[in-house]
Amino acid sequence: MRSHRPYTPWLLTAPALLWLAVFSLWPALNTSVLSFTNVHTLSGGSFIGLRNYSLMWQDPHLRDAILNTLVFMAVCVPLLTILPLLLALLVQRTLPFMGFFRTVFYFPVIASAVVVAMIWQWLLDDRGLVNGLARQAGLIHSALPFLTDRWLLLFSAIALTVWKGLGYYMVLYLSALGNVRRELHEAAAVDGAGAVRRFRSVTVPGVRGTMALVAMLVAVNAMRVFAELYVLGGRTGGIGGQDVSLVMLIQQAASGADGRLGYASALSVLLFLLTVGPLLLLARWNRRED
Amino acid sequence: MPRIRTLLALATALAALAGCGVGGGSGDAAKQTVATDSPLKGEITFQTWSLKNDKFTPYFTALIKDFENQHPGTTVNWADQPGDGYADKVTSQVTGGSLPDVVNLPPDIAHGVAKAGGLLDLGRNVPTLNQDYVGSGLKAYTYPDLGSATYGLPWYLGTDVSFWNKAMMQRDGLDPSKPPRTFGELVAAAKVMHDRSGGKDYLMSRPPGLSDIVNSGTRLMTPDGKKFTFNTDGAAAMLDEYTAAYKAGYLPSNVLTSTYEGNSALFVKQQVAWTTAGGNYIQSVQQSDPSLAPQIVPSPALDTAPLYVQGVSVAARSKNLPLALAFAQFVTDNANQVAFIKLAPGYLPGTAAAASDPAYSKSDGTAQGDAAVYAYQDMQKAVNFTPPQWTDAMNTALNQQIALAMTGKESSRQALENAVDQADRLLAQ
Repeated sequence: MRSHRPYTPWLLTAPALLWLAVFSLWPALNTSVLSFTNVHTLSGGSFIGLRNYSLMWQDPHLRDAILNTLVFMAVCVPLLTILPLLLALLVQRTLPFMGFFRTVFYFPVIASAVVVAMIWQWLLDDRGLVNGLARQAGLIHSALPFLTDRWLLLFSAIALTVWKGLGYYMVLYLSALGNVRRELHEAAAVDGAGAVRRFRSVTVPGVRGTMALVAMLVAVNAMRVFAELYVLGGRTGGIGGQDVSLVMLIQQAASGADGRLGYASALSVLLFLLTVGPLLLLARWNRRED
Repeated sequence: MPRIRTLLALATALAALAGCGVGGGSGDAAKQTVATDSPLKGEITFQTWSLKNDKFTPYFTALIKDFENQHPGTTVNWADQPGDGYADKVTSQVTGGSLPDVVNLPPDIAHGVAKAGGLLDLGRNVPTLNQDYVGSGLKAYTYPDLGSATYGLPWYLGTDVSFWNKAMMQRDGLDPSKPPRTFGELVAAAKVMHDRSGGKDYLMSRPPGLSDIVNSGTRLMTPDGKKFTFNTDGAAAMLDEYTAAYKAGYLPSNVLTSTYEGNSALFVKQQVAWTTAGGNYIQSVQQSDPSLAPQIVPSPALDTAPLYVQGVSVAARSKNLPLALAFAQFVTDNANQVAFIKLAPGYLPGTAAAASDPAYSKSDGTAQGDAAVYAYQDMQKAVNFTPPQWTDAMNTALNQQIALAMTGKESSRQALENAVDQADRLLAQ
């Protein structure tokens, strides 16, 4: 069927394009422009060339922020790509109370990230439940420094993120698994394939597109991590600011009546570039697999 | 399909960048002489900070009515902003061009607005400024980096008084009638409380900050305000003492983490026996926790007391500057300030005539009355610790370095060197 009205697709997509232009494209371009200025919340705005970008490398927290953000992404992407798939396979079955379990697994998704992080904060405190139970069980003598040790705090935030995100990605996989034809599993079983082999050779290829999408979404969200680290580590980003993320650095630079908006914009551009890289790699990997 | 996914990835990343985007703002300094000889007329808006409540609303309603009666044909609209996020609110008002004509601003917020050219130079427009208002208050609104202009009329002055939990001190073998007067005495008393209570009760419960550095005899900045200088032996020794106290368990273990509730919250929970607050603290605890109030004993602040100033500024872009200036002077004149302070014992008027009034040095014999007298006495020699150049980002950097020192990850000296480096770098931006 040939369209005689070539403007029809543009007309239909116009609202979405307008939305994208006003709320994504324009702010992104504006941020890029501001990154070359010395604009503060209430003053400035002169063009200063690449000064903000050169200042970045003198920032004692930038290296920590990049490392923390990349570790966060590197750990979250595989965990949140694989675990929700396994969870979806478990709850996909039609057994009694399965609806209940699906709801329970999804429940953390609807809880506020800040509220959840605060609950974890109290669980992981020196005098919190986790340390208390470990002490009572005789596993430890002094409290594990979940909230003061750099790496323990970072991995606590990762654990929180994974726990909170499982349900959301599980739902995406449940939808994708519904499209994997049952006959393929039956044929593989007849050919003698076990559960693991069927998972590798039937399930994974059937949901590969969803896996790529999930990996991309997790990667972007991990690069933008804020609330989990902010609440667990405090506004300074843990002891000495060793657990800051890139978004926390942006927030610290831009907030207050003396916010350094130009510098924060330069950090935003850096975050954008660091986010695009892994996304393109994932997209390329997925294209090759297709 | 693969191309669509690539586009999707790019669009998502773009959205991330847009999400991190920030707006811009600018402002030009506005210095002008206001014509005060023409009759006052028209309408202005007056903004206060967290003062619309049962206690203060009748005062402001009467104050505005009084002014309007004295100047027929004028209207003053009163707006009050909530306590939290006031700096952000004022910032958005400045960038949006909607800063009220007359506005209550503390010196640190006023500095940012003045720097953007948003406030009227009152030194140029109030000829009797230096005679009418206290010097320490005027100094707080005169910024070395902005020349000799003054951007606020001192309204009320406050300081910190020490408050002690009598029952906790007695339980742990300390005499509440002789509370610590210096930081050294505080650490010694904290040890007694810790040892006697088996580590359950605390006297100290906050990490050190800028005020502790100043109290160590350290100068924060060079006189020209262009470099920070608090990386001194005195400040390092003070930080060493805090570090030793923290390691010995005299401070709660979570004082450096996100689960730390703050000194005043722990005091109200009676887990901590010492806090600092304004001179009217007992009066407010009486309302929020009547069972705790009788247990509170006040004493003068440790070492040098901090000076907190509140002032009234005039927006440089007000469309009715004569009326705005007249009302700002009316709000802060001696009679109105004295009437205002009667509602808030423990604070002092910012007028020269009232600030040294000996009436404020007489207690009614209650603990609240004693606290108000201590506040009055401390305010005579109190110091505004925070330079206007000191920003949130600098404070974060200092707190980060203090935490590293207190956990033994860095020496006190190195932590202070790092904090000074970072503060200087931020100042230069």
